[in-house]
Amino acid sequence: MNPLHVRSGGVNEAIAAPMAPAASDIPDETFACLYEHTFPRVYAYVASLLRDRSAAEDVTALAFERAYRKRRSYRPGRGSPEQWVFGIARNAALDELRRRKHRAGLEGDPEDVGAPTAEDHAELSLRREVVRAAMAGLGGQERDLVALKFMGGLSNAEIAQVLGTSESSAGTRLHRTITKLREACHERA
Amino acid sequence: MSERDALIDAQLDAVDEALSSGSVTATEDLERELQELALALRAESPDPDSGFAAELGGRVRDGFPRKPRLAWLPRLGMPQLAGLGVAASILAAAVVVAALVPASEDNVDLGGGGSAAVEQPAPEPLEDSIDKRLRQAAPAESGDAPAQSPAATSDEGFAPGRRERAIERSASLTLAAPGDRLDRVAEGVTTVTERYGGFVLRSSLGTGDEGTAGGSYELRIPEARLQPALRDLAKLGEVRSRTQSGEDVTSQVVSASDRLEAARAQRRGLLRRLESAGTDTAVEALRAQLDVNAREISGLRASLRGLRLRTAYAAVSVELQAIGDEDSGFGDDSRGDGLSGALDDSLSTLSGSLELLVRALGALIPLGLLAALGWLGVRALLRRRREGALV
Repeated sequence: MNPLHVRSGGVNEAIAAPMAPAASDIPDETFACLYEHTFPRVYAYVASLLRDRSAAEDVTALAFERAYRKRRSYRPGRGSPEQWVFGIARNAALDELRRRKHRAGLEGDPEDVGAPTAEDHAELSLRREVVRAAMAGLGGQERDLVALKFMGGLSNAEIAQVLGTSESSAGTRLHRTITKLREACHERA
Repeated sequence: MSERDALIDAQLDAVDEALSSGSVTATEDLERELQELALALRAESPDPDSGFAAELGGRVRDGFPRKPRLAWLPRLGMPQLAGLGVAASILAAAVVVAALVPASEDNVDLGGGGSAAVEQPAPEPLEDSIDKRLRQAAPAESGDAPAQSPAATSDEGFAPGRRERAIERSASLTLAAPGDRLDRVAEGVTTVTERYGGFVLRSSLGTGDEGTAGGSYELRIPEARLQPALRDLAKLGEVRSRTQSGEDVTSQVVSASDRLEAARAQRRGLLRRLESAGTDTAVEALRAQLDVNAREISGLRASLRGLRLRTAYAAVSVELQAIGDEDSGFGDDSRGDGLSGALDDSLSTLSGSLELLVRALGALIPLGLLAALGWLGVRALLRRRREGALV
């Protein structure tokens, strides 16, 4: 497990703490801190959604540049800085998906985003193949949900904020998707 | 909470527990399976390329430097841009309102449209005034002539050789002022006229819905004080036109005086002949000639009196025109004196500004509501289009 993907529970608190409640500006130092804490997960989320490493790099860079330019318009009342960055990244990724939808749909073959290395255990390798195949069978919204949860490392409440829905609705949809994935893995196993 | 909801929550909690601890901790089979799946999914997270991570990190540290831009272009944030947008909208609305609002009563001519002409009586009857002032300006002719007066005769010519010329002067002035200030200008006309020893011969003021719409004045001002009086009148408003003319009537005065002298000589001769008349017929004939002579003298005196009045007093006609506030460009002298005038001016300006603001808001508020609805609609549409990429 990549330690970068282990979510730091106090990131938002640490970022929001120096700011006054009504402040709508993220200082450069705080933005750098936000970037350090969210970059690997934002990239993982975008790459998982786009299934294209090159496009994921472009979109991730674009998302952080947009966030930097718009850092004065950030409003703490609308969610944590992490949710805000993920929202920007999601919009950028969806725009990218929409642009190239006609030539590469989400239903296409999954890209080998994390090819197994030689030292990978055979069973682990097989399991990963099963999981990837199950992921490939998900619809776009389900993949978005899984990417936000497991690659982005967001909590259910944060996912709800990013998607603009209620926490219970996000939880229900997430549970349905995980169940679908589990059943797909059983079928492929 | 239903049993199914409780089950879902328990399974989601198990997933979160696995993600936070990084291991499978549940004892129940299904929850263990979900935890394993969660860990497997997270293991699928792609790692960023180290080169890309270093490059993007550098850009973050540098503050995402922009391409060079023109130095004179100010860097505006959203609040500044929003402010500029609002100011531009207000300006555009003001221009539109100013272009669409029809001309007010201020510009209506005298007696036209909805304005009502109100004739103001002259300060005193015309004949009395003229006689009185003529007697003040020049000594009256003596004699008991009858009231009937024939038309005055006028001779052509310029009476060369006379040093004192009789000049009949006239002037006309068109003054413009905002309709709500025209009453004050009209008072000023009377005040200036009386200040210089003149009098108002005739006046009229027309009123409209928004104050005085216009008016006209016929003035008589002593010829010797005409120029300073005209200067003061011109200060009352914006001078739209100004004309002056003079006509030499010396020959007419000389002719009338000579004929009057001759008629009086004839009267004296007739009276002498009447004293020596021997018969009733001769007396009646002389009396008839004296009656004719008296009428001639009376007519000549009236003519001479009229000439002297016309040369002693210049005829000045003043036309008052109402204009909109935005057209007025005259100085403070025409707007009243002192503090009260200044207060009136500032209140009028404030009132005009508020009126313009209300009209602008009347146009801006519906436009703003439409823009807000449009903005919300566009946002919803964009969101749906984005979400459409996931379908």
